[in-house]
Amino acid sequence: MVRFDNVSKIYPTRQGEVKSLDRLSLEVRPGEFIAIRGPSGCGKTTLLLAAGGMLHPTAGTVTVDGHDLYTLSARERAQFRARRIGFVFQMFHLVPYLNVVENVLLAAVQAPGKPGPARAEELLARLGLTPRLRHTPAALSAGERQRTAIARALLNQPKLILADEPTGNLDPDNAAEVFQHLREFHRAGGTVLIVTHGAAADAYADRVVEMRSGSIQARQ
Amino acid sequence: MSILWLVLKELVHRKLNFLLSTLAMLTAVALFVSYFTTAEASRRETTRVTRDIGFNLRIIPKDTDMDQFWAAGFSDQTMPEDAMQRLAKYENVFVTYNHLVASLQQKYLLQGKEILLTGLAPTLTAPDQKKQPMGFAIKAGTVHAGYQVGQRLGLKKGGALELGGKKFTIERCLAESGTDEDIRVFGLLSDVQRVLKMEGRINEIKAIDCLCLTADQDPLSVLRAELAKALPEAKVIQLRAIADARSKQRQMAEKYFAFITPILLIVCAAWICVLAVMNVRERKLEIGVLRALGCGSGRIAGLFLAKAVLIGLIAAVLGYGLGTALALTFGPEIFKVTAKAIQGEPRLLLWALVAAPSFAALASFIPAMLAVAQDPAVTLREE
Repeated sequence: MVRFDNVSKIYPTRQGEVKSLDRLSLEVRPGEFIAIRGPSGCGKTTLLLAAGGMLHPTAGTVTVDGHDLYTLSARERAQFRARRIGFVFQMFHLVPYLNVVENVLLAAVQAPGKPGPARAEELLARLGLTPRLRHTPAALSAGERQRTAIARALLNQPKLILADEPTGNLDPDNAAEVFQHLREFHRAGGTVLIVTHGAAADAYADRVVEMRSGSIQARQ
Repeated sequence: MSILWLVLKELVHRKLNFLLSTLAMLTAVALFVSYFTTAEASRRETTRVTRDIGFNLRIIPKDTDMDQFWAAGFSDQTMPEDAMQRLAKYENVFVTYNHLVASLQQKYLLQGKEILLTGLAPTLTAPDQKKQPMGFAIKAGTVHAGYQVGQRLGLKKGGALELGGKKFTIERCLAESGTDEDIRVFGLLSDVQRVLKMEGRINEIKAIDCLCLTADQDPLSVLRAELAKALPEAKVIQLRAIADARSKQRQMAEKYFAFITPILLIVCAAWICVLAVMNVRERKLEIGVLRALGCGSGRIAGLFLAKAVLIGLIAAVLGYGLGTALALTFGPEIFKVTAKAIQGEPRLLLWALVAAPSFAALASFIPAMLAVAQDPAVTLREE
């Protein structure tokens, strides 16, 4: 599903070059649930964004679902992302002036067929958010916000979910609920690539990959 | 979900930014509308005030002896009354001349004293003109007496005055003017022609020039060229002091507005641009998320430009209302003579509805491009 071939990402800074990814190679098979674990600053988020077509690597190739992402134009990559990839972020990144349903429907902006409110409400019902449909993010708990973000990620029936420390701001109960929903997606045939610096995802993942200093250290 | 819906929701959420942006555009629109509304009033006022200074053109028979003319104050030669009609019918005459008044003036002995008996025909203006004619309208069988004449003969309004064996009713005793009008008696042209036994004759056509030329251009050559074609048996004299006063007044107003306009536009554009840049910075994460969800550059730019257009439309309507209200409230205080003629200009609303959104979008263009250029990966990594 996702393949990294000798991917490097170097950032030029005033203090010199910073190597965020260092000749990293990794393959994520279709339908796998992979947890990538490592300390802060090891390049986990960079890896995730590269997989999402949002970060052009300095070297190497990133292939998602058979497509070499960075040979596509920016527009093609954006459309690809809208149709096949769902993102879940640590800080939820909900739009503050939209209610729950509208936040979920934001994912439909570029999607073919444009899933409507009915699909959004069905997803939100499965995530236990029916009583909160017309509430804005400010009125939601952290767990409810993250579930809204998950619904947004699932709206277009993606093949791949990229989750960047999705439980980093949640208590254990809410974190377990988030993992449960990701597992359900996985069991339905979806591929999950989750980055985390704790071990909470280990119980749900098919594979755990350790990252250090921009490269893969160990596979479990 | 449409861009318009996103824009509307964001406007309601970030009210301060919306209000400040709208205020900037509204202020600019209101100032422009009130300027253009009162500029029209100013133009009318200038025309009316300087028109009331008097006619600044005198069309007299070509053979007039100019020494005699300036000594007597009128031409010793006459021309047929139909010269006026021929002049009025000449193609494009009202481009150069306006407010044509045919007159016949002669010295007349009235109760042992010499007066200037003056016959005036009704004023002829351009066919489509709504301007009020100059001077005063004289009814048949009536006269208007100059101040000095009235004082000397003890004339009163409603009294009678005999001229050439015919009795005329005194319509008005004029106020002192400090000119030769004080020793004139004005009557209808046909009445005065009968008194003087000069039926069908005139010796002058008064007029005002219509030329809006700059200070260094000479309208007299244009006026003379036109008259030579329209009325070859006549010549024209221009009272330069009056003509120059009108021209300078008009040019001064235009220069002032030309000076103020770019300043206003720059300040308004800068204000809107700064607010838009602040809005882009506030929405950095939102832009990053939209990118992650697959929104392209066009949609991102569209969010900011659509917002600018919407603000422009709202400001256009409100600004037009405010500008017109300002013009109608304060205009009559400034332009007292034409106060009643100040009115709203509906065409300015159409102008505002086109110009304001376009201007707001233009001022927001750079901020929109900043939004498009943002690297979402940088934004999302910074969380």
